[in-house]
Amino acid sequence: MKSVLEDRLTGLWATPHTITGWLSTVDHKEVAKRYLATAMGFLLLGGIEALIMRLQLMTANRSLLTPEMYNQIFTMHGVTMIFWYAAPILSGFANYLIPLMIGARDMAFPRLNAFTYWSFLLSGLFLYASPFTGQSPHGGWFAYTPYTNVRYSPDLGIDFFALALIFLTISTTAGAINFLATIFHLRAPGMSISKMPLFLYSTSTISASIIFSLPALTVACVFLELDRRWGTHFFEVAWGGAPLLWQQLFWFFGHPWVYVVFLPATGMISMLLPVFSRRPIVGYPYVAIATVLTGVVGFGVWVHHMFAVGMSHLGMSFFSAASMTISIFTAIQVFAWLATVWTGRPVPTAAFKFAMGFIALLVIGGLNGIVTAVIPLDWQLHDTYFVVSHLHYVLVGTNLFPVFAAFYYWIPKITGRMMSERLGAWSFWLMFAGLNLAFFPMHVLGVMGMTRRIYTYPEGLGWGGMNMAATVGAYTLAAGIFISLWNFAVSRKKGAVAGRNPWKADSLEWAIDSPPAPYGSVHIPTVESRHPLWDSHDEDDDPDGKRILDQGRLTLATTALDAEPQSVARMPQDTVTPLLLALAMTVFFTVLLFKALWLALASVITMLVVVAVWLWPEKEKRPV
Amino acid sequence: MSTISLHGLPPDVREHPPIVLKLDERRGTIGMWLFIATEGALFLMLFVAYFYLAKGGWNWPLEEPPKLRMALPMLAVLLISSAVLHWGEKKVEAHAHRKGRAALSGTILIGLIFLVMQVFEYRDHLKSLTPQTSVYGSIFYTLTSFHALHLIVGLCILAYVLILPDLEPTQRSPHRPYHNAAIYWHFVDFVWIWIVLFLYVSPHFR
Repeated sequence: MKSVLEDRLTGLWATPHTITGWLSTVDHKEVAKRYLATAMGFLLLGGIEALIMRLQLMTANRSLLTPEMYNQIFTMHGVTMIFWYAAPILSGFANYLIPLMIGARDMAFPRLNAFTYWSFLLSGLFLYASPFTGQSPHGGWFAYTPYTNVRYSPDLGIDFFALALIFLTISTTAGAINFLATIFHLRAPGMSISKMPLFLYSTSTISASIIFSLPALTVACVFLELDRRWGTHFFEVAWGGAPLLWQQLFWFFGHPWVYVVFLPATGMISMLLPVFSRRPIVGYPYVAIATVLTGVVGFGVWVHHMFAVGMSHLGMSFFSAASMTISIFTAIQVFAWLATVWTGRPVPTAAFKFAMGFIALLVIGGLNGIVTAVIPLDWQLHDTYFVVSHLHYVLVGTNLFPVFAAFYYWIPKITGRMMSERLGAWSFWLMFAGLNLAFFPMHVLGVMGMTRRIYTYPEGLGWGGMNMAATVGAYTLAAGIFISLWNFAVSRKKGAVAGRNPWKADSLEWAIDSPPAPYGSVHIPTVESRHPLWDSHDEDDDPDGKRILDQGRLTLATTALDAEPQSVARMPQDTVTPLLLALAMTVFFTVLLFKALWLALASVITMLVVVAVWLWPEKEKRPV
Repeated sequence: MSTISLHGLPPDVREHPPIVLKLDERRGTIGMWLFIATEGALFLMLFVAYFYLAKGGWNWPLEEPPKLRMALPMLAVLLISSAVLHWGEKKVEAHAHRKGRAALSGTILIGLIFLVMQVFEYRDHLKSLTPQTSVYGSIFYTLTSFHALHLIVGLCILAYVLILPDLEPTQRSPHRPYHNAAIYWHFVDFVWIWIVLFLYVSPHFR
């Protein structure tokens, strides 16, 4: 009986192993794996750029790179890491895990999900077409005007930057809408918001942040592109424009974005740290509320990136105070994690080590962040290596380390194979030591006056030793990352078989096979507590088969707060239209680069036709 | 709201008790509201940019504020279009699909009239001001043309709903196309109200 059911569900949900199937799948697990692999690819690209820069800065007066090349490389490094690695890798995890954690069979909009991936990939490729033209962006990841105006940056580099980002905002916004609709509409019956896994709190918080903050980036990039190629004057003082408008818009988006790449990582830590401490998390409601408040107050701190531009003291004091308020919410989470470990029985797996390393780095990065939130100190340290150190502690420490913790924790679910703990320990210690060796000396370099973004420095300033240390540290960090990748590759073939729940974890994704069947679970699970697998769990307690839903691609829709069963959601079939739409958009942005308006119009019409086909009512797929 | 169960399926797929819950029709509407939220934020940013630039621009306050002669009738046109569409939605809910489609066609026609008026308004305006004249021209034309582009998208959506086989959720398509298109159209109209207030009316009171 069981296997007949499983065959029926597989027939409904599986994607055929053909090229068409591969291009048209809308399965969230397939999409998520691509997300993770692509984001890792961008991590490696950005990482190689960082290693090249560290070679250039290793000792004084090196000439590996010309100044212009150096500018392009640090810009591509920052843009790649912040936009095409840090957020997408978290979207990859969210994409894989959220439907499984809530017992749904897919995301709320599976086709939109496939489009989100394709447009993420293609916008990244669009950006990486720029080095092949020899005209990469060179204005830093925040591309301040007037330097990025066409007069000072005449080649296509900044156009690539602006158009690629507009393209990516479309993808990211679509993803945020999808996550919110999924989390608040498809949770398993009984999973009221007070019982949601904490990862869902962080993902829904950042999705809301994206919806309200990302348009600022879109508007800024549209203004920039109009100024550069279409003769408007938003940022040009001579015509009444305001260069500071760019900074205001960019940072209104930019600071919430910091939480976009941070909060889901904390959410993943809040999922896995309790599992390896063998107890529920301490202070679940406080962690949940702190997560949401971080997102909300994150909208009120953007000016702290701009303390050095000359503003009213009252305004600056407000933003300084708001910036310090955020540290309270972060501290709540940190103490909740520490208390969880302290009162639990820790199991020092590789994932646990990465999680603990993350807490240590977050504290360092948080404390040096408070230093820069103090305005007088900020004026001294602005645009020095102190800031470089701060932002790398925060971004590498609170994004990369949780991501690696998550890899060691969830890869067995994704591939069905365990990764080596011994290699994991090597990887962790190399990464942890390398990161500290690379970035701690930069605090001192910053105080000594080494400004960021210089391509070389003269001898005799006493900077040589610390720069050499930073370079050695960067390569050590890279070696640590490489060991984990190798560990992953080996585990695919030789790793021990994971089974359903190798870590004896508590959330629903561990109740099903590893790797999961295309449909997830045979019966839509029900939930009675925050830890369904630790407490009572009655996924199979469904004698009438009411929660099998095998009359088509179906999943259960529930109410937003209490998760009471409301209706049955019909999911769409596989289709190639999301890929076609993303391709048409790629053509659109490419021809805009060359101002070919007729071709742009043709691609827009193509997009409309593709969307019409995408949304057209489809024939139902019947069970076989 | 129409209740659709899966009772009507052929007997060979009915070895399990049939599902008694109705088909979900809210997802599309949730998605549309979230899309409108982010679009609203987009226009909010544009308005903020307008006032930010007004604070520092050398040609503000304007010597000659924009004329209301065209903008106010355009507002009336859009409000009428929303009213017509709303009436149509009520009719569709009462299963009067023919009237619903008539209202849809009417709304599209009124929307096209708005676009024609926009063209005349631009032609008049461009005599004294272009996007390249000053930063005021840049933000004025960017904001109004962004609105026009959204209106064109809205027209495409309405035209698409017009050719759809069903205006209400069905077994084949669980969404509420008429309703979702309508809330987007009302949103585009809503934005025009603020454009008139901020870009056309407020300069007269400086």
